[in-house]
Amino acid sequence: MKSARSPMLAHTLYLEVPFEDSTQAEIAVKVLEPDPILRPEDFEVDYSSKDRNLCISFKSIDDRVLRVGVSSVIESIKSIIETIDEFK
Amino acid sequence: MVNLNSVPPKHGRNFYLALGLEGSANKLGVGVVKHPVLAHHADSDLSHDCHAQILSNIRDTYITPPGEGFLPRDTARHHRNWVVRLARRALDAAGLRDPSELDVICFTRGPGMGAPLHSVAVFARTLSLLWRVPLVPVNHCVGHIEMGREITKAENPVVLYVSGGNTQVIAYSENRYRIFGETLDIAIGNCLDRFARTLRIPNEPSPGYNIEQLAKNAPHKDSLVELPYTVKGMDLSMSGILGYVDGLAKDLFSQNTKNKILFDPQTGEQKVTVEDLCYSLQENLFAMLVEITERAMAHVASNQVLIVGGVGCNVRLQEMMASMCRDRSNGQVHATDERFCIDNGVMIAQAGLLQYRMGNVVKDLAETVVTQKFRTDEVYVAWRD
Repeated sequence: MKSARSPMLAHTLYLEVPFEDSTQAEIAVKVLEPDPILRPEDFEVDYSSKDRNLCISFKSIDDRVLRVGVSSVIESIKSIIETIDEFK
Repeated sequence: MVNLNSVPPKHGRNFYLALGLEGSANKLGVGVVKHPVLAHHADSDLSHDCHAQILSNIRDTYITPPGEGFLPRDTARHHRNWVVRLARRALDAAGLRDPSELDVICFTRGPGMGAPLHSVAVFARTLSLLWRVPLVPVNHCVGHIEMGREITKAENPVVLYVSGGNTQVIAYSENRYRIFGETLDIAIGNCLDRFARTLRIPNEPSPGYNIEQLAKNAPHKDSLVELPYTVKGMDLSMSGILGYVDGLAKDLFSQNTKNKILFDPQTGEQKVTVEDLCYSLQENLFAMLVEITERAMAHVASNQVLIVGGVGCNVRLQEMMASMCRDRSNGQVHATDERFCIDNGVMIAQAGLLQYRMGNVVKDLAETVVTQKFRTDEVYVAWRD
């Protein structure tokens, strides 16, 4: 284990995804939250909901890790939205 | 004695409904199962006889070109693309207008490939929150075992679980499915699939299916090509066999007449065909499986074998197992057909519903995080004595 923790997670991105209502946004937070980050020392995600928006803030050690992490979360969000659309 | 009726069905109905979602490898499966409430289940050991009704069982396979395997990322994308449509079809086929009628949603937690498992888990969590239906995480291997027991009514068999990712000999003892023997390296289906890739033949519909078809037409069945036979105690090793037979196939394709096993050293005439290699590989691998299964049967004094998993569809494996069982005091072999042998959603629903009826449900979504490694004996089998 490295002892020098969380030096520079300088690469950040903030996303807001609007849903139809606040319940749906909360569902999205609950679905996304449980999954652990593979390398927490290189990448951090924080999910929350505000009104009918899903709010995500990403922090990462470099732009490559950020891009990979963000695109995987977006894939999951697409899946959640399609599910809600079909089965709400 | 076990009480399978401890959790009553929703809305005072006299039956349970479960949705099963499977996506641990390249098959995506959705199924709906119905269990009637039976009075004798309140005080018995009859989890293999639930009178399960299969309301729907739909599957879609991610198919790669011959010569290529499936990669986690592409497989996950396939599952994400199809899971919503497949679930819609499964619910419609089951005639389930209001999905909140479901008692439980079951999904595969592991073992398997991480990315495909995760894509299905995200879907299962969303449905559960949307419909307010509880979730049950299911061990894929236990799913195979419970489906096999329900279909064949085998009460307490030694289970041979053979698929693309797993090779295990399992027997039940004191609330666990205990692993008696297993592969030390690659799974049997993986061994067959990779040989199929060398031969450039497709891996549809189940691991080793096309090798089985070629083997049927082997011209020299009376003289087996000698291959390494690697049973180690109760365990098997198959990577060396694969390497060896791959080498033979390559020599065959390149017409390397120096290889004395394949070509007559005097005349240079070819003695062995691709079909012969397929036949010998199957005979060799299956003989190893039969050997460790027989030893497990002797250990637990059982005379039933249940074959589950994708390779379990192989008729030659079933024949060889049957002939071993016949020689052992009238044993029986139970196997299922491709609907249930190959990964499917119904088996997840079946095992998950048994778990649910014993009161095992997810209380915190943190319990739904998928895991690539999830051994069969980690599951506490509450539904058996």
